[in-house]
Amino acid sequence: MTTNTQLNSAGTERPVGSRSGPAAARYRQGGTTALAIVFLSIMLFPVYWMINASLQPNGTTLQTSWLPLAPDFSGYATAISQQGRNLGTSLMVALGSVVFSLAIAAPAAYALAYFKVRGAGVVLFAILISQMIPGIVVANALYTAYNDLGLLNSIPGLILADSSHGIPFAILIIRAFMNNMPASVIEAAKVDGAGHLRAFWSIVLPLSRNALITAGLFTFLFTWSDFLFALTLTTTDDVRPVTLGIYQYIGAYVNDWSSVMATAVLASIPAIVLLIVAQKYVAAGTAGGAVK
Amino acid sequence: MKSAFTKTKAAAVTVTAIAALPLILSGCGASSPAASGPVSELTVVDYYNNEPDKTVIGDTLVACGTESGVTIKRETVPGKSLIAKVLQQASSKTLPDVLMLDNPDLQQIASSGALAPLSDFKISTDNYPQGILSAGTYKDKVYGLAPTVNTIALFYNKDLLDQAGVTPPKTWDELKAAAAKLTSGGQYGLAFDANATYEGTWQFLPFMWSNGGDEKNIATPETAEALELWTDLVKSGSVSSSALNWTQADVNDQFIAGKAAMMVNGPWQIPVLDKQSALHYGVVNIPVKDSTKTAVGPLGGEVWTVPQTGNKAKQAKAAEIVGCMNSDKNQLAMAKARNTIPSKSTLAAQFAAENPKLASFTELVKTARARTGQLGEDWPAQATKIYTAIQNALTDKANATDALKQAQEG
Amino acid sequence: MSAAVQSRLHLTVPETQNDAGPRRPGYRRRERIYQWLFLAPAVAYLVLFFGYPVVKNVLMSFQDYSTGTFYTGEAPWVGFANYVTVLSSSLFSTSLINTALFTAGSIAGQFVLGLALAVFFKRKFPLNGMLRSLLLLPWLLPLIVSSAVWRWILDKDSGALNNFLESAGIISTGIPWLTSTSLALAAVVGVNIWIGIPFNVTVLYGGLQDIPDELYEAASLDGATGWKAFRHVTWPMLRPVVSVVLVLGVVYTLKVLDIILGLTNGGPANSTQTIATQSYALSFQDFKFGEGAAMGNILVLISLVFAVLYLRVNRRAVDE
Repeated sequence: MTTNTQLNSAGTERPVGSRSGPAAARYRQGGTTALAIVFLSIMLFPVYWMINASLQPNGTTLQTSWLPLAPDFSGYATAISQQGRNLGTSLMVALGSVVFSLAIAAPAAYALAYFKVRGAGVVLFAILISQMIPGIVVANALYTAYNDLGLLNSIPGLILADSSHGIPFAILIIRAFMNNMPASVIEAAKVDGAGHLRAFWSIVLPLSRNALITAGLFTFLFTWSDFLFALTLTTTDDVRPVTLGIYQYIGAYVNDWSSVMATAVLASIPAIVLLIVAQKYVAAGTAGGAVK
Repeated sequence: MKSAFTKTKAAAVTVTAIAALPLILSGCGASSPAASGPVSELTVVDYYNNEPDKTVIGDTLVACGTESGVTIKRETVPGKSLIAKVLQQASSKTLPDVLMLDNPDLQQIASSGALAPLSDFKISTDNYPQGILSAGTYKDKVYGLAPTVNTIALFYNKDLLDQAGVTPPKTWDELKAAAAKLTSGGQYGLAFDANATYEGTWQFLPFMWSNGGDEKNIATPETAEALELWTDLVKSGSVSSSALNWTQADVNDQFIAGKAAMMVNGPWQIPVLDKQSALHYGVVNIPVKDSTKTAVGPLGGEVWTVPQTGNKAKQAKAAEIVGCMNSDKNQLAMAKARNTIPSKSTLAAQFAAENPKLASFTELVKTARARTGQLGEDWPAQATKIYTAIQNALTDKANATDALKQAQEG
Repeated sequence: MSAAVQSRLHLTVPETQNDAGPRRPGYRRRERIYQWLFLAPAVAYLVLFFGYPVVKNVLMSFQDYSTGTFYTGEAPWVGFANYVTVLSSSLFSTSLINTALFTAGSIAGQFVLGLALAVFFKRKFPLNGMLRSLLLLPWLLPLIVSSAVWRWILDKDSGALNNFLESAGIISTGIPWLTSTSLALAAVVGVNIWIGIPFNVTVLYGGLQDIPDELYEAASLDGATGWKAFRHVTWPMLRPVVSVVLVLGVVYTLKVLDIILGLTNGGPANSTQTIATQSYALSFQDFKFGEGAAMGNILVLISLVFAVLYLRVNRRAVDE
């Protein structure tokens, strides 16, 4: 991101939204960074506390100092030996769900944003209603259907179910972003016949990069943090997302917090790397592909 | 193209789904008992998903399977979601061949008709104490047997009590005095679990029952006295008000951290406590109001059942597994490994001699009472009333007597 | 306003292959089919994954649905009895008020802080992108983990928050964040705001990035900078995104379950009981599935009423 903006600082491309010109003083930027870091420290304190707990012998922070001065890695040993495969499952399901959700949502958002389709209002409203349904209701209904279709304990089954978070959300978000797209672009996209698909593919999609990435990010996060579908639709060790894996350590009587926290820390690492990479691509300004 | 096809297909599927709804709701899902041949595999569902229980139960199941000549396909689900999972499986006719249930849930599930009475399979119920049999019984038939049981007692930190010159309390007055004396700085005298779940109810029962309180009607002076004891302990600061939100695992964490000198908890915490080299603890009965009263604990433990899967041959094999899990040898071995108590009263003396740490618990389970012994499937509703009253009294919304009265009247 | 600014945009669009031939008859019908092709997969998905569960849930709410039903399939029709039961229960009004407070508090906190941060992150400074990504971390933690960590932080006796406040000399005795009937709801709202901020920042930031800089340049020529620019350029242009964030925010917040269950389980003394937690408790603790379904449907209705009202008001505002 920063490298992007520094490349752009001559203003030849598009300066980032702030009104400070290319000659913005370095020390002021440094001050802003410091302020951002302070705020982020407050926001991320619970995350630090989780890491701290994961290094405590009992996995709780009851006896602890503010720093894990005598780190105990036994929780990590347990987590690594038991959760590696679950982490893979989680990543596969989350990425699969992103691809599937965007593939279904992007065309629908495009249609709802640009076409005067009869019934569009009904569809939009249905999407909104779908977001109101408690997850438990969906999960319970799916169990019976999945059982008959043989989709229980399968990665495709989880991808399909988890997309129920992502698809309606992605449609609404992408459509909201597309509403701001300049009219001239829309005019250009209004080509009939076989041109429709191409216009969508080569003009509308590149222009909606921010919307797609934002929607994709959240679809990833929704799926990554899903627990309910994992709990309802899987029962075996073969297909077990890491959120559910964590529950191995939450027993009926005893909680093994060290392993829970260590698993959560380990699971956050690949996910946060993915997020940082994805965020890099959120372009500054509009019409990244269309403006020469 | 493709999507147009999807659309018609979707419409077709929807129509079928809605048409099939009455069928699904009337339980005529697609299910056919497998052709009866030699049984080679049994499915098992339980909630022992953390160590050491997971391995101990798993190994015992496998050994029992080998004895009966079947392989065991076991699934563990998180404890809180077991019942939801069982209900889903019941509605889609995919119940496992062998099912573990927490004992207070058994009657609820048995009443739905999803379980087979164990008398169909000639499993002996001799030598089981009344408490555990009543938990496993629905309408005079035994549906589930627990290999091992547990209850709760008072754990105390020997070092802290010695420093304060306090002996482990036996009566409520002694408990109050000891807890007050042991409270100083960041250390509380006592910790228990008074949270807004069945766990809070379970921790309150020994106080209520030993004083002659009755779950059928909680608006009685006996139960009010027990609740007043809890309220006094919290109000005087001997118990942290955080007890309103603690689980039993949290209570144990407080005890380990030296933030509570005594706690109400169960024997399953012993492995965790023994890992703490600096901690020296003892176990005594939960104090009773005065020396005329005797301790009555609530009976904990999981029962093993045989669901009605429609496959008679498999059910017979499943019953063998349930019987094997309950054999004397396995009861003793699992109890030792899991720090619980073997159910059969004939094993108590031998077990207590071999495991002195668990001797006081072994004594306690002899008289322990099942939560569902009196109310059966109506227990959950009443358990909710009990913890509601506890929460209202401890947060000062009402005094103990009124809180119990309001809760009882719903 | 925005239309006027829009017309000042000078966008050069690359040449596109425009093979729109002469308008033949049948063109419009074919056009409509094409348009529906874009929508069809999404509609099919919605019907299968939401339509069917909703129908099932509505039916269930009119039945006496108990544990036995799952095995026997027998669930007698009881009309509106389930609705009458849940609406007349003494807990309903408590849950309703808590739901309203929880939702209003969460949304106000999330949206205001989220928007402020999104505007802040629009500035250029080193590490901007990385810090923005890290802001998403709260979402990556499984809720069981966040709620456990927050319970330790908010613990009355050994919690980090009270330790900090005590050492700073702000308080002398520990505040019972989660175990006082007057504070627990506020504490739960606070944690929910913490969870909601990343969502608000990310979506609003994406929306801000899509506002063309030319608009700001045009506005500054008219003397609108700073707060004025925000009012006349940012806010109108951000409106569609704001709508989505607010409506979805409210809808999501109304049905929040795990966080409340994890932090307080509806306690102490029902002070954090909401309609969502009640619905869950009825179904999965008391096994009264009919009543749980009725409670869930009441929640959906409340969402629905809110969404309709909001969209109405918003449309009017846009039209003006």
